[in-house]
This record gives sequence, C-alpha cells and structure tokens, in this order.
Amino acid sequence: MEPSIVLAPGATDSALCSMLATLIRQTLDEDPSKKPVVARMSGRIAIVAPDLDQSLTLLFDGQRVELHAGIVGIPDITVRAPAEWIMKMSLIELTPRLRLPNPRGKIMREVFEASHDGTIEVHAAPTSVPLLLRFTRLMSVV
Amino acid sequence: MSSEEGFDFPSDAWTAAYKDALNGSERYREAGKPWTFGAVAMVVSADPALGLDEDMGMILDVHQGHCNSTNLVRGMDAVADTPFVIVAPYARWRQVIEGELDPIKGMMEGKLKLTQGNLPTMIRYVESSRELVSSASRVPTRFRA
Repeated sequence: MEPSIVLAPGATDSALCSMLATLIRQTLDEDPSKKPVVARMSGRIAIVAPDLDQSLTLLFDGQRVELHAGIVGIPDITVRAPAEWIMKMSLIELTPRLRLPNPRGKIMREVFEASHDGTIEVHAAPTSVPLLLRFTRLMSVV
Repeated sequence: MSSEEGFDFPSDAWTAAYKDALNGSERYREAGKPWTFGAVAMVVSADPALGLDEDMGMILDVHQGHCNSTNLVRGMDAVADTPFVIVAPYARWRQVIEGELDPIKGMMEGKLKLTQGNLPTMIRYVESSRELVSSASRVPTRFRA
C-alpha cells in the first residue's frame, strides 16, 4: 500500500513540517524500497530544533505519516538537535545489505560525537530502537 | 558603476558578477564538483515598495563546480523549466548575501523556499547548495533598502 504523507491542521504554517513532508514524499518516490519500511513503522517521533524555536511530531501508523507542529502526545522517540544537525542526520550512511546506520560512516561518526558532547540528544526507550532505525533509513538520502 | 561601489541587486551586472564570483571561488569549485543536476534559479519576490514590480530570477547554469552562464529573468514563468528554484523576499536574499543567513537553515525556517526541485538532492549535495548560494556574499553589492 502507498503510504500517505499528510500535514495535520496547523502544520501547514510550519516550514519545518512542510520541508520534512516534502523530503519524505520525494525520498519515497526516489526509493520505493522504503515504502515497506514505512508500513512497519508505528509510533510518535518528536524533533526539536531549539535554534529554530520549532518542534514537530511525526505520527506513524503503518499506512500514514502525519506531521504535527509542536509536540503532540507522548513521543516514543525525541530527537533534539540544532537545525544543521537535523539536516545532517539525513546524510547518515547505511550499511549496504541491511540498510542500517553504518557506524563506520563519516557522518555517523560525527553524529556519535555530537551525541556524546550533548549537541544532539536522542531520547528513546529500548523498545523504540526498531522505530528509530527505520526512521533513520527512511530519512537517509544517501 | 565600478565593482568597488557595488553592483545593484538584482541587476544584469550583479548577475554577471555572481558568475565571476562562483568561477573565482576555490571553495565552490571543490564543493560544487558533485553537482550535475542542472541550473538553479534564485528568485527575488516582487516588492513594489522596493521598485520590484515583478519577481526577478537569477538563473545559474552550474555544473561540476563551474558556472557556465547566468541569466536575469522576470516573472516565475521564466524559471518554469529551471530544475531548482529558490524563492525569497528581497530582505532575506540581502541577509544571505551579507552572510547573516545560512541558506539551508533559512529553508528550514521557511525564510527561503525551494519551490521547484528535488529536496533529497539538495540535501545530498548540501555543501554544493550552500556554497553556491553563499558565494553571493562575494559579490560587491549595493542594496535598494
């Protein structure tokens, strides 16, 4: 089934929501092998960009991705990072076969370092790790 | 007008100077090498208060770190066939040219809008995109306001 990417009411005014919705749509068009990945995603992911004073929540229910401005509900995963890093996380290298984040990749190592020094904060329960890995794969443009 | 005084933005002279700035930039030559996705248009939205009665676009025919040509055009129809189009009000372009606004961050804030083109490509080659737009800051510029 074709996943639908929609902006919730109120999210149309959020530049970050619109940009991420466009990014997800175009990424799925470019790489249809990611569509089954979306079908296996269920949960809420919040992204906070303090330097932009913006946040958004992505709701995944397996068929639909809904983007909300602000934090909506209790997120399974929260990523807090400056705008530059949010963009950079789309460049995380994936392993060739399993399409998991490649720990040897240059960007991945930079993300590790930024997480270590507190520039990037990722809050997720261990049970949400599969959602996080799928999200990384979905958003990766490399 | 001499380049010391600055070129009026936007104008044919400014657009030509932008091409020279790009081709004279070692940073753009390096960062732009992977870019093989066609021309980029930077469009200044119409603002009659500033004497811009219609949208004005600078089309940059860039390929692998080299700018082959530039063209100043009027109206959005003139950029319809350009693969990538970035639109912003005059004040935002001024911030970019003066180095006060990072173009990628500006897009995330909605201050600059990618109205045409593939966003994953822009992100994949983010340094090419950033350096292309940021190179405008190397053009001596005289602003309207």
